[in-house]
Amino acid sequence: MTAELAVAEERELPRDRSLRSWLGTTDHKRIALLITAVALLLLFVAGALALTMRLQLAQPDQEFVTNDGYNQLFTIHGSAMIYLVVTPLALAYGLYLVPLQVGAPNVAAPRTTMLGFWLYLFGSVAIFSGFLTSGGAAKEGWTAYTPLSTSEYSPGMGTDLWVLGTFVTTVGMILVGGTVLWTALLKRARGMTMLRMPVFSWSVVATNLMVIAAFPSLLFALGLIAVGRMTPGLFDSNLYNIGYQHLFWFFAHPVVYVMFFPFVGAVAEVLATFAQRRFFGYTITVLSLLAFAGLSMSVWGHHMFTTGLVSDDYYSLTSILLIVPAGIEYFAFLGTIIGARLRFQLPMLFALAFILQFLVGGITGIMVASPVLDYQMHDSYFVVGHFHYTLVAGSLFGLFAGLYFWFPKATGVMLGRGLGHAHFWLMMVGTNVTFLPMFWLGIAGMPRRVASYLPTDGFSTFNLIASIGAGILGLGMLAFAVNVVRSLTKRKERAAPDNPWRAHTLEWATSSPPPPLNFDDKHPIPPIRSYAPLLDLRREREP
Amino acid sequence: MEFQRVFERVFAFEIAVASVVFALVLLGVVLAIFLSRKRSGDTRRRDSNKPLEIGYAVLLAGVAGVIVYVTASAHQEVQHGTTGYSVAEQRGATKVDVTAFQWCWEFQYPDTGRSVTGTCRDKNSGLPTLVVPTGQPVELRLRSSDVVHALWIPDKAIKMDVYPHHTNTLTVEFDEEGRWLGRCAEFCGPYHPSMHFWVRAVSPQEFQQFQQQGTVA
Ligand SMILES: [Cu+2]
Ligand SMILES: [Cu+2]
Repeated sequence: MTAELAVAEERELPRDRSLRSWLGTTDHKRIALLITAVALLLLFVAGALALTMRLQLAQPDQEFVTNDGYNQLFTIHGSAMIYLVVTPLALAYGLYLVPLQVGAPNVAAPRTTMLGFWLYLFGSVAIFSGFLTSGGAAKEGWTAYTPLSTSEYSPGMGTDLWVLGTFVTTVGMILVGGTVLWTALLKRARGMTMLRMPVFSWSVVATNLMVIAAFPSLLFALGLIAVGRMTPGLFDSNLYNIGYQHLFWFFAHPVVYVMFFPFVGAVAEVLATFAQRRFFGYTITVLSLLAFAGLSMSVWGHHMFTTGLVSDDYYSLTSILLIVPAGIEYFAFLGTIIGARLRFQLPMLFALAFILQFLVGGITGIMVASPVLDYQMHDSYFVVGHFHYTLVAGSLFGLFAGLYFWFPKATGVMLGRGLGHAHFWLMMVGTNVTFLPMFWLGIAGMPRRVASYLPTDGFSTFNLIASIGAGILGLGMLAFAVNVVRSLTKRKERAAPDNPWRAHTLEWATSSPPPPLNFDDKHPIPPIRSYAPLLDLRREREP
Repeated sequence: MEFQRVFERVFAFEIAVASVVFALVLLGVVLAIFLSRKRSGDTRRRDSNKPLEIGYAVLLAGVAGVIVYVTASAHQEVQHGTTGYSVAEQRGATKVDVTAFQWCWEFQYPDTGRSVTGTCRDKNSGLPTLVVPTGQPVELRLRSSDVVHALWIPDKAIKMDVYPHHTNTLTVEFDEEGRWLGRCAEFCGPYHPSMHFWVRAVSPQEFQQFQQQGTVA
């Protein structure tokens, strides 16, 4: 096999660090780092858009940006966060770690994976380049409901670019998710049975099952918009309008879990590592992840309760049933940490905050899954508060738990502790001060996607608090950015050992960063007897 | 107003359940942190407890079942009966054809042919008023002449989407006189933020007068 020969040759040579070698790489680690780098950069851009919105909403009746400008801001903020930041980061974590965790030398079909990265990059550029067109970027919201998103009501290149970019980037994500799934299912090392895969790898399997089952539905929905932009008469039948919503939410509910599961997996690994014991309730957690993924395909209609055109009780039932797998995951989390000797290092702080904060997102999710409550809360700031609790207070905290945890593995450098603490505390305070007031705003009657409100609405105080919180959150993110740059420039002082946290899974058995084929003669794959092989090894050596 | 009462009751119930769940998880985390100080190094322990796990899963299913029961039966109340979503053709109901458009509302009373509309721009000036009688069913027939909108009366916990090429119907009944702000909840373009209207509930006598003269005192 020529690919393997080429890689074998590569092993003899010193590692090629040129830009060209990165852009044409077939190493899953490098592809994952490319996706991560682009997505983190776009996280800051999307965050800047959010800060602009919070500036506009800090006071009633402001005209800091126009209605049209504001609509572009929230559309691109939402689209970027979902299509270009959190989904790609979730899949990139899987791409980097799954081959290492299952003891594979590379991802299956790395060129396909790399194509996924290029499609993602192209899609990102397309979506953002809308800002450069005369009519501005897309402005129909990340949901782009028809017929608002047809050329009749939203003419202009911005929306065309949005449809193109979202389509292309989604194809890219399907390629990345599919190849990682293939790797986990068929490329595992000897001894690595399915039920010895770490919880993180399992979370990625569940994630990628949803990617391949649900993402194509978005492609159909986008295709419908594309046709509608050429022949707007298509939507003269309401079948197409409601059909669009079904296709869209069939994708858009599972994508919420795609943006969340890998970080549940990350938190699970972090909790077990910093509790210095085996993850509790492994089998039932794996089962609940798979059940969760399966159920997630049946709940999409809960976004459509107010349409008057779906069976509300059915979707309410399936949505509320999600309590079972979610509750089991929490049980396993608590079972892992209660009674253990905990080490409160940075990944652990983010993981503990994740547990409590995500819970707020989950609980309010059950509320909006009740039709009688949703009739009031739908399309209000209550929903905005709810999904930011799941995605920022939840997913992003899990993402940072994982980032502080695996950064040394991927780069060979430890992240600074002082700035890390500043990041954690500012982000924790900022997140809650920003998003908690939104629940009250929603119940008080503030709709989402409004560029301003009146002093007489009674929304002023909570909006001001939310805007102050956003500033604090922004400072926290700044501390993170400075920390990454400073740590990378101090490579020597902050060199990371192979297993700085005494973690349990295979990626910690190899060097930091790992060699091109993940394991080599100096870093062989240890014997695998459970889902925590390094813990087994340690216990054998130090009984 | 039934919608609002049902909302408040179920909301209070779910907040109570949520508070208990949050308190339990918080307790778990605090316990873990507190106990942690008393342990040394390696804390080996069994890594699964099958009977406990299965029992717990059954308990969760029970909790889910209770929540489903409470919310589904509450949902029946706002879907069936004399008022509710998708309820139509009630005896003695005042019919109003509500048309949403970019970016305001029009209220037509087919019985008298009266119609009210406005401009919905700038600081709630020029808003149309939906006048309804108290103590009688009012049938709202929602239709859009362009994109998807949604009719929302936050103080009454009522919301329903408004489609082009499709009519959504709901029947409401106001039990007190007053005036409340209505909003468009579904994003519909540049002037979505100011797409408001007033709902004004008046006594049946005043409503008669409105039907005849087009104004209310
Ligand atoms: Cu959903
Ligand atoms: Cu509207």
